[in-house]
Amino acid sequence: MSMSLVNSNSYLESLLRGQPRLPPSPLAWFNQLRANAVDHAGRLKLPTTRDEEWRFTDLSPLVRQSFQPALAAPALQAADVERFSLAEAAIRLVFVDGKYMPQLSTPAERLGNRGLIVTNLSSAITANAEAIEPHLGQYARFEDNLFAALNTAFLHDGALVMVPRGAAIDTPVHVLLIATQPEVASHPRCLFIAEAGSEITILEDYVSLNDAIYVTNAVTEIAVGDNAQISHIRVQRDSTEAFHIGNCAVSLGHAGRYRSVSVALGARISRYDLNTVLDAEGAECAIDGLALINGRQLADTHSSIDHAKPNCTSRQLHKCIADGSAHAVFNGKIMVRPGAQNTDSAQSSRNLLLNAKARIDTKPQLEIFADDVKCAHGATVGQLDSEELFYLKSRGLSGAAARNLLTYAFGAEIIDRIPIASLKYRLERTVLEQTKKTEP
Amino acid sequence: MSAVLQNLVNQPYKHGFVTEIESDIAPKGLNEDIIRLISTKKNEPAWLLDFRLKAYQQWLKMEEPKWPNVKYRQIDFQAISYYAAPKPKKKLNSMDEVDPELLRTFEKLGVPMHERAALAGVAVDVIFDSVSVATTYKQKLAEVGIIFCSISEAVHAYPELVKQYLGTVVPVGDNYYAALNSAVFTDGTFCFIPKGVKCPMDLSTYFRINTEESGQFERTLIVAEEGSSVSYLEGCTAPRFDTNQLHAAVVELIALDNADIKYSTVQNWYAGDEKGVGGIYNFVTKRGLAKGANSRISWTQVETGSAITWKYPSCILQGENSVGEFYSVAVTNNYQQADTGTKMIHIGKNTRSTIVSKGISAGHSNNSYRGLVRIAPTASGARNYSQCDSMLIGDQCGAHTFPYIQVRNQNAKVEHEASTSKIGEDQLFYFAQRGIGNEEAVSMIINGFCKDVFQQLPMEFAVEATKLLGFKLEGSVG
Repeated sequence: MSMSLVNSNSYLESLLRGQPRLPPSPLAWFNQLRANAVDHAGRLKLPTTRDEEWRFTDLSPLVRQSFQPALAAPALQAADVERFSLAEAAIRLVFVDGKYMPQLSTPAERLGNRGLIVTNLSSAITANAEAIEPHLGQYARFEDNLFAALNTAFLHDGALVMVPRGAAIDTPVHVLLIATQPEVASHPRCLFIAEAGSEITILEDYVSLNDAIYVTNAVTEIAVGDNAQISHIRVQRDSTEAFHIGNCAVSLGHAGRYRSVSVALGARISRYDLNTVLDAEGAECAIDGLALINGRQLADTHSSIDHAKPNCTSRQLHKCIADGSAHAVFNGKIMVRPGAQNTDSAQSSRNLLLNAKARIDTKPQLEIFADDVKCAHGATVGQLDSEELFYLKSRGLSGAAARNLLTYAFGAEIIDRIPIASLKYRLERTVLEQTKKTEP
Repeated sequence: MSAVLQNLVNQPYKHGFVTEIESDIAPKGLNEDIIRLISTKKNEPAWLLDFRLKAYQQWLKMEEPKWPNVKYRQIDFQAISYYAAPKPKKKLNSMDEVDPELLRTFEKLGVPMHERAALAGVAVDVIFDSVSVATTYKQKLAEVGIIFCSISEAVHAYPELVKQYLGTVVPVGDNYYAALNSAVFTDGTFCFIPKGVKCPMDLSTYFRINTEESGQFERTLIVAEEGSSVSYLEGCTAPRFDTNQLHAAVVELIALDNADIKYSTVQNWYAGDEKGVGGIYNFVTKRGLAKGANSRISWTQVETGSAITWKYPSCILQGENSVGEFYSVAVTNNYQQADTGTKMIHIGKNTRSTIVSKGISAGHSNNSYRGLVRIAPTASGARNYSQCDSMLIGDQCGAHTFPYIQVRNQNAKVEHEASTSKIGEDQLFYFAQRGIGNEEAVSMIINGFCKDVFQQLPMEFAVEATKLLGFKLEGSVG
């Protein structure tokens, strides 16, 4: 495959260098999709703080590093990943530096769930091309999104979850993405499809084995069919030196339901774009997020909820806790298209600053083109309430314990919404540990 | 019912007529020579010419802002005449000597000057196109030491004061339109309240754009010294034209220790016809500097006119315990576009700000609230409360909210709330039950929606604003 780079940006060139090694697929549309993405990745420029969408997130530290595509992934043993496993999630896909690890994974067919497909994309794409083609690359548009374009340019494998019509899967699916090597750029890809009337819970879990500097550029596409439901939990626990760019695009069918909880704890700079399109009447989404950061971390969440059709409902609660000299950014856009009457939308951005050097930039944004709608948003930025602290102290708690407890409670409101008990417990421990580090 | 609403929304612009007065018009176009010409015509000192030229040089290097949520055809800045003054017939000693044509214009607008002055006790500094023609109540104000005059007069009479403050809040290169204004402003208002003086009356200026295709570039500078207070009213109406007119004003407010400035605007420039042809482009930079401790700056605006409004009256809260307020009602109809809001920059300790913004959109219009609340690391104990509500009338219009909140101090507390609503059938039904017709009901609901803002307006303005909304919207809901 040939590619031309109009962009003189040597950084992008270096990122794209590994791409031609990818073997061409027997599917023409797949090759075409990838070629289009290569074309766009070559044409797009790395965003700077002069771009409105990247105003508060300066990517220059990313450019100062050079990254190579992962050529080989280390052969991890089951014991190495044991600590990430969850008791409830019997179905598991493991990717190491973007490479699928069959020996660590438990795909769905082995469990004998009739019709449910949970496996890696490249092994299932030929057999299921007809079901995959209308979705893959259709929601995560890369025409003006460099990172989505890069990810698609490198597309050859990824996690695939397909829930057949009417199936309610009560076992959560665990997609575990492990980073192990320094100076590696990985481009994980996930595609989750829930056919009409089906239900599933999926955990997308980014972890690291060390403190290496690497970049993860993930893209997830989610198609929720008519009257189907996907619960999507996304946990980002990358190394605090790493860069994490995530794009997630969701499309909902008639009366489809999408529930999402995303938790960002790691990465030096992380950015998560979640675009949900309520593309048929009666669709609902509930999108919750928590960023808990410290030191010199930056966590940026951009969400867009697009009410494209009437009678849809959306709810969003996003919380940031910034300690040290961390910087949390939230941009939540709610769009109500012309004719999308009876839209019911509520959004709330709540932020807690724990240190004088920490910084919060939030922008809840409403764009409304229909008149019979109920839209509200709110944003608050503040510190721990002195009266609440006083109350706890009057009950005999030390100052530190009181602060710790209140901070924990602030974050726990989001974590409580995670439907997997062992993960919830584990994250609550993490939050408690992290808030303990808080200096008065 | 919607027909009634339609009628109300589509009331023709009542103030569209042209006064025929011989104008002294500069050739179209903008270059250094034109700036020198303006400066010479106005007999200005050298420092002011330098100020203008510096601004012009900056302007040449700048680009028109693209970020506002408005669409319009590129403005040809070379097709505008930058200076138009009614030819002076002779020196005026009393109101009787004012051009009768001019007086008739004000009469049509419903502002009989002497009456207005006498009845309302308001000193009106009339700006007709660019040169101030008559100023009333000056003596009365002079008694307490207040300076209230046109800015060109102030440049000659109080050069030190003007030089000290001009361009300190809005620097010449602040933004594209502010730079343009700094280069070519022809007239405006200067107001100085000395130490400890409470201004005995509301000060008011009536602005009027008259000559076709002459952009108007006013400059307003208000300085309130320690412990003083003033309430300033600005009202606008413009005659009907089909070519778009540019209006790029700059307003600077400076409040020293314990001073209090209240600035109220009712803006009703020509908004274009129902097809969106014509109308004023209103690109205004308004900013107040709460410089001293315990100072207070309050903006109240009712924006109903202009084809495009691009305006963010802002407060820089520098002094400790200083207070900034912004109360706004913005109404758009037909093809009007408004991108308006405020900036509250908290720098000093324990600074407080309040934002209340009400947007009403009807027809095919777009109404955006764009606000910034920034808490600097130095602003410990800062507090902000923002509320922006939108009301949509009809399904062809848009309402947008872009609140930026940037906090760099952990002791600050910032709250923002926004909601969107429409006038519900059930509300109208309730009124109907009580024997109140739709038209009146809608008017009452809208006035209720805007109440928080209207009660901030001085008495006469509140009456005018209520009437204005009545014209524009009463009954436009169905």
